[in-house]
Amino acid sequence: MKPLRIRLARLDTGLGAVAALALVLYLMFLIVPVLLSLKTSFTNQNILFPTSSFVGLANYRAALRDTQLRSSIEFTLALAVAVTIVANAAGLCFAVLLNRTSLSYRVLRTLAFLPQVISGIIAGFVWSWMLSPTGLVNHILTATGLVSQPVNWLGTPQLAQLSAGLVVSWVLSGFTAVVYLAALQNIPRELYEASSIDGASSRQQFRMITFRMVAPATTISVVICLITVLKLYDIITALTGGGPAFATRSIAMYIISVGFSNDAYGYASAIAMVLLVLTAIVALSVTTVLRRREVDL
Amino acid sequence: MYRRCLAGAAIASLLLLAACSSSPSQSATGASSKKVTLTYLTFLTPDLTAKFWSNSIAAAAKSVPGVTIKQDVDPTTDRDTYAKTLLQAGQFPDLLESITPSLYTSAGLLTPFPSSWINANFILPNDIKGKDYIPPTNSQIIPLVYYNKALFTKAGATPPTTWAEFMADCAKLKAAGVVPIELGGHDSFAAAMPLTGALSADVLGSDPNWIQQRYAGAVKFADPNVVAAATKMRTLVTDNYFEPDALSVSYAQSILNFNAGKAAMYPMGSWYLGSIPKSEWNNIGVFPWPTNNGSLVIPFSLGGSMAVSSKTPDAPAAFKFAESWSLNPDNLKSLISGDGAFPMLKGKPLASYGLSLSPAFYSSYSYVTSTNTKISSMSWATNDNALPGNVTSDFDAAAQALFSTSNVAGQMQQLDQDWASATASS
Repeated sequence: MKPLRIRLARLDTGLGAVAALALVLYLMFLIVPVLLSLKTSFTNQNILFPTSSFVGLANYRAALRDTQLRSSIEFTLALAVAVTIVANAAGLCFAVLLNRTSLSYRVLRTLAFLPQVISGIIAGFVWSWMLSPTGLVNHILTATGLVSQPVNWLGTPQLAQLSAGLVVSWVLSGFTAVVYLAALQNIPRELYEASSIDGASSRQQFRMITFRMVAPATTISVVICLITVLKLYDIITALTGGGPAFATRSIAMYIISVGFSNDAYGYASAIAMVLLVLTAIVALSVTTVLRRREVDL
Repeated sequence: MYRRCLAGAAIASLLLLAACSSSPSQSATGASSKKVTLTYLTFLTPDLTAKFWSNSIAAAAKSVPGVTIKQDVDPTTDRDTYAKTLLQAGQFPDLLESITPSLYTSAGLLTPFPSSWINANFILPNDIKGKDYIPPTNSQIIPLVYYNKALFTKAGATPPTTWAEFMADCAKLKAAGVVPIELGGHDSFAAAMPLTGALSADVLGSDPNWIQQRYAGAVKFADPNVVAAATKMRTLVTDNYFEPDALSVSYAQSILNFNAGKAAMYPMGSWYLGSIPKSEWNNIGVFPWPTNNGSLVIPFSLGGSMAVSSKTPDAPAAFKFAESWSLNPDNLKSLISGDGAFPMLKGKPLASYGLSLSPAFYSSYSYVTSTNTKISSMSWATNDNALPGNVTSDFDAAAQALFSTSNVAGQMQQLDQDWASATASS
């Protein structure tokens, strides 16, 4: 039998090669494109022309004056906050309700995760039909007498924004439910048994045990929800196309429009950098705050 | 050990870079021993099916033996954006179907067809600074106003020629309990049809060179005459002449609604002619968008087949294929019957295609063939009068915005800002 040192050295070599490969892929497909985009953001690159000139911070100054970009940022940020709250609340509720071991609950868990399995484009198209004046939602609302006329879900800026929020929350609730479910199943049962003996109610158990013990899952779930919505493109494109009148146009949609319709590739790259920085600030801030909460526990 | 890891990583990187090398169309230099493959950007519609493309390509490919035509089907509805993403990926197609050539000509990405060939084969050229980049095989009128004759009779309305008569008809229809206008505004291009009609008739009808003057900065969307024309769209909204929740109704649903008699009028491009069910052929009429004084103004748009990339490895073969495809009357048959396209091939009158078409088609086609004031359809032209960059989308969005704001002048000012942004990057 080979000495342990040689076996470990061989294992290190294999792991090192895999790690090096992962690092190369990370550099090639993430870091290098970001750096190239940063470089392009300082130029007046037009998508149709192979050459460009250095323009310094002109694109970033233009972004500060761009009212359409401001509208897209406002909508995207508001959507991110709203969807994160709703998706996490819904996900935690689903997880608590589905935290059982029977077969029927395992089936229900699969169904709860279904929104996450469907592609964003399909989800957007399906909900676009369901929310139309003759769609399923209005059919149910009018048939049950909850409304007398079909609701214009996608036809006014305010309702279209609300509809977008609800659809994206539905999609993300599948993900958050799974994350919280995994966290719930790691909570020691003894905590609940001990609290029951001490006379704690269900509400007290949820507040003092469940909600606190899923803090790490909350951190992950909240941050991923925020990042996902900040770079949202597919669901909105299929659901509303960014309308009506660009009321639901996300930052990502605006970047595509600027880069590939106005051909302003340099300016689009600058906006993409703005989105990157915004996402990083939001993610880091939220992570810092929520991790502090975990430590406090 | 670490040197072996780095060596392994370097080899893996080289393999990955080799796998990500450029496409065959870029690397082919026309060496005589190599078979040439030309990529052809196409798209699918209910009438332009996969079978249609397969058959039409096979027929045209006979003119270029030894050349393989490889389709690149656009997965989106925005061919220009898709073409530009392919350009960025180094995969700009050799042949591009129904794009907006004016978006590419300043960068020299397209090669024009010979003028002599265009003049010999087509009724009208569709040139950009004197050159044709897409064979003008067909045309559209955008918009026309289709109307339900039975509903008009019920309400005592008659096809209008002036704006005042149009508004009077709308009032009569509404009083009779009929939805005056079907819009389908969830899809922004459909939402903009009344705005396109109003600006084409009133602004371009008065000054056919208005778009060129806009490029020169001599006129603006915020000018009083343009705002007055755009206000007509807002008036239709405030008077509730569109279907309920018009911005929630998709374009596809609007066709079904109008065909089912749920509204009396439908402003739409002439492609709607391909969607009139045979049972309604005698019940659907058409009239041009009404002008203030009743003069006849036709918002015209020449379409066509494919453009040829200036980067193609075999330009003679590409042009031969394009010319063969464009002059094949069988290809136009599908466009005429399914898309309401008006044929523009010289020596090939409509009757020669042997198609059974609706009375509304013949009425519409008469506007193409007769002598009248044809102007470029605002936001639909593909020649020198094409709008720059993303302004077409901004125009459509302005139409949707007029459902929730009465600030028509503000929306037109926004269009001017959008125009400035679009032209700043070119």
